[in-house]
Amino acid sequence: MVAHLVRLKLTLLRNIFRRSRAQAIGAVVGIVYFAVLVAGLAVILASFRGSLDAARVVIPLAGAAGIVLWTVVPLFSFGSDPTLDPGRFATFAVPHRDLTIGLVAAALVGLPAIASMVLSVGVVVAWSHTLASTLVAVVATAIGLLTAITTSRWVSAVMTQAISSRRGRDVIAVLGLLLLVVIGPAISVVANLGASLRDVATTAAVVVGWSPLGWAWAAPGDVAAGDLGTGLVRLALAAGLLVVVFLLWSRVLREEVDNPRAVSRSDSGTSSGDDLGLLARLPGSPLGAVAARVLTYWRRDPRYQISMAMTPVVPLALLIPFVTGDVAWTPLLMGPLVAFLLGWSEHNAVAYESDALWLHVASGTSGRDDRRGRLLPDLLLAAVLVPVYVVVGVAVADRWDLLPTALGLSVCLLGAGYAVSSVMSVVLPYPVAESGESPFNAPPGAAGITIAAQSMASLGTLLLASPTILLAWWAWQGSVAAGWGAGIVGVLLGIVVGIVGVGVGARLYEQRAPELLSALRRS
Amino acid sequence: MSDVTDLPAPQGDPTEGPAIALRGLGKRFGDLIAVKGIDLDVPRGSFFGLVGPNGAGKTTTLSMVTGLLRPDAGQAFVLGRDVWADPVATKRLIGVLPDGLKVFDRLTGLQLITYAGLLRGMPRELASERAAELVAALGLTEAQGKLVVDYSAGMTKKVTLASALVHGPRVLVLDEPFEAVDPISAATIRRILAGFVESGGTVVLSSHVMDLVERICTHVAVISDGLVLAAGELDDVRGDRSLEERFVDLVGGSTEVVGLSWLRTSSD
Repeated sequence: MVAHLVRLKLTLLRNIFRRSRAQAIGAVVGIVYFAVLVAGLAVILASFRGSLDAARVVIPLAGAAGIVLWTVVPLFSFGSDPTLDPGRFATFAVPHRDLTIGLVAAALVGLPAIASMVLSVGVVVAWSHTLASTLVAVVATAIGLLTAITTSRWVSAVMTQAISSRRGRDVIAVLGLLLLVVIGPAISVVANLGASLRDVATTAAVVVGWSPLGWAWAAPGDVAAGDLGTGLVRLALAAGLLVVVFLLWSRVLREEVDNPRAVSRSDSGTSSGDDLGLLARLPGSPLGAVAARVLTYWRRDPRYQISMAMTPVVPLALLIPFVTGDVAWTPLLMGPLVAFLLGWSEHNAVAYESDALWLHVASGTSGRDDRRGRLLPDLLLAAVLVPVYVVVGVAVADRWDLLPTALGLSVCLLGAGYAVSSVMSVVLPYPVAESGESPFNAPPGAAGITIAAQSMASLGTLLLASPTILLAWWAWQGSVAAGWGAGIVGVLLGIVVGIVGVGVGARLYEQRAPELLSALRRS
Repeated sequence: MSDVTDLPAPQGDPTEGPAIALRGLGKRFGDLIAVKGIDLDVPRGSFFGLVGPNGAGKTTTLSMVTGLLRPDAGQAFVLGRDVWADPVATKRLIGVLPDGLKVFDRLTGLQLITYAGLLRGMPRELASERAAELVAALGLTEAQGKLVVDYSAGMTKKVTLASALVHGPRVLVLDEPFEAVDPISAATIRRILAGFVESGGTVVLSSHVMDLVERICTHVAVISDGLVLAAGELDDVRGDRSLEERFVDLVGGSTEVVGLSWLRTSSD
């Protein structure tokens, strides 16, 4: 069984090269690039063999960072690997133990794992001072790597489950906010330390070395420095940690295999009987109905919640360079950025509904009702977020003279985004995670079209808004007239472009609704 | 599409003539010609069964009638209106139950039916009133506040059917309406549909359960490989045999089982 899973993963790896020639060439170039990078890093790590003191600082920190990266990166950028999604094995009656081990073993076959192994070789070389330290290094590094991979599997399984319950979502939202609150000050503290970075690193290495993240990576250092007892204690702790993580992973896996539909279940039962919810509260027209349905989906479908949660948070990142450095202009972009995200995020809205769109087509819903109804909830959100972020951004940067500019730029980006989205969601829907699947899943093989469509939507929006962007640039250069110009032009252009774009989208929808439905069925 | 015949389009008053008229309707998917120029009249007030083996083109044909799939050739008329020339007016007359398509399953059952009514431009009071009535008639009252995603396949079918009925259509086009539905619900649905036909409506349904079609339909068409093999009143099509025998005869498949000896447990 374990061999089967590993073979499945190998086949998937090989299939990277079996797509179009361009994609295969891209993959080869990418792999060669990263291979050189990884090999270089491994050599650097190995070179720490020359200085045991430096190694004892750098390697525990790097190792702990590796575990964190393994855990966090798959969640946010690539989506957990859906081909090895535990829920998919529910029907196959695979013995639980085989599946637990097999999925971890399969994860060891991926490119990230291979890269980590190469780096691990560098780590082992760095510790190879005595026979004992080499032996401990081999064991400890293997434990560290396995811990990283198992933790990664465990956390993505837990996140998948957590996102499906209201309580879990709340917990994740709070954790995310906490993280954001902490990141800013933390970065500024580190940045201000400057000269004493070395001391900080040394202290941090000691702390991390005694934390669960660092046990495995610090153990060989102790042995190499002659402190066999401490080294063995850390090694034992690391082994214990691996067992604990493995058991946790095993338990979550059992739950997920026993109850694979758990993800699709959300707040069933929150709506009481004959309550029509939002359908009773928005205007009783087709437009109002579409808007109410989209709003209901925001509340009930985890896939929307991810982007809903991210949109208001992302602009806060612009505060980081402002707080930590002397970059004065970034907060000014908070309003425009949130407006851009809100408009842009609608460019694939229809794909999330998949072929449930047939109801609109069969009802003969007009293009205007369909397009406008979809954008209305987003517009309501924008009416709150955009002014708040514009004012906050201007206040933080203390450039009240640029308030009209920021506002005009925001409105223009929002309108341009709606125009592009209205057209693109009819013309170029691309595959997304299915309803009920984990929102962290990325449909296999859709990366190319996803990136292409997202770039097109971004470029299109920026292009439509370019007159305002230029004016805003002049305003930043100091032109007072351009500042007001950007405000006026931005608002007018945004409204006009938005209305025209939505109109074009509506016309296209009416002409192509059956074709759109066919495209959604295929994807 | 070589055998497109030149029957004239139904002319004149939409209150007369067939409820649904297909003229040379054809659809091609790449190399596969799914529907090869179908001519078919569905009389007004008939309970019309469309039968055929898997992959015969039933769903494709019905999708082209309901405006969900654009035909490559030919025309489809509903109550005298060209579906593809005047989709908005035509769609108002039709109630659709597709097969194998998702629904907006994050709505509750009651919300979904009301939503379908509102999309059709009905006033909210009327839509929600009818939704409540349909929910009660189809035995979904207890589940009306649950999300459709948590419904069983049969319940989803019923709630989708209710969405097709809510605006009071004149013609119902139902793709596999009885699939996965339990016998009691099936009887309820049959009674609702029979009442609809009695009051002058027209029902077209596809199925591959011959017994059922034989029991409830007044008219039947057998299609296979994208062509109509026989069509007309039930008794004319089946003659003096059962519909199933006639069907096997027409479609020409063999029901002999070849191989699979290992499946017979007595061979142990």
